[in-house]
Amino acid sequence: MSGLFDTIGISGTGLTVDRKWMDAIADNLSNANDTAPGDKPVFAERYVEAQSAPGGGTEVVGVRYGSSTGIASYDPQNPQADAKGYVRHADIDMSGQMTQMIMAQRGYEANLQMISRATDAYQQALQLGK
Amino acid sequence: MFDDLTTTALSVAAAGMSARQRATADNISNINTPNYLAKRVSFEASLQSAINAGNPAAANITTQTSLEPTETNGNNVNLDEETVSITDTGLKYQTDIEALTTKFQLLKTSIGNA
Repeated sequence: MSGLFDTIGISGTGLTVDRKWMDAIADNLSNANDTAPGDKPVFAERYVEAQSAPGGGTEVVGVRYGSSTGIASYDPQNPQADAKGYVRHADIDMSGQMTQMIMAQRGYEANLQMISRATDAYQQALQLGK
Repeated sequence: MFDDLTTTALSVAAAGMSARQRATADNISNINTPNYLAKRVSFEASLQSAINAGNPAAANITTQTSLEPTETNGNNVNLDEETVSITDTGLKYQTDIEALTTKFQLLKTSIGNA
């Protein structure tokens, strides 16, 4: 990526990665209370995998999933209980997700800040010779 | 005609600042990327010796990776440092552009209100 305004493009890749990260966190949090019968997989935590892009900036290279085993609890009264009386709950660490949310949000803000400063500099350059 | 020492030196400086700004954008976008090492752009020393030698066009703009200690995820981008760099580089870039504009205005005057 080597264009006229690449700084903006580079920061844009950062915004995309941070937004995808936040999407994954939102998905994890909204499914934090999911349950499944003891003999079936339950919601697995979603992880966004990012690395630096060859031409500058960053990119999402894939999504990985945590354990779908979850946390099994003995609850024979539950309509979802399997033959042995077990129900699975999604294994989502709330504090971990909230910490990641702050990291993604702050990263997003830093990239936006960079875009606005780069825009100022480019606008300055466009005044050259006037 | 416009390849005099002042214009060339100022353009090289502006190109260097632009490269540094790009590196800063790269560093900030990778602030949470595991094993990413911050990029550092240097050109001032090279430009200074090139100007002393009378040929500012020979200056080199080089990009290196920072050798600062990393965090547990192998990343060594320091947001404070990068934020300072955005402002610092932005202002220096602006100064270069102002100087170039002044230089061009002088030329315009000498051409005679063209």
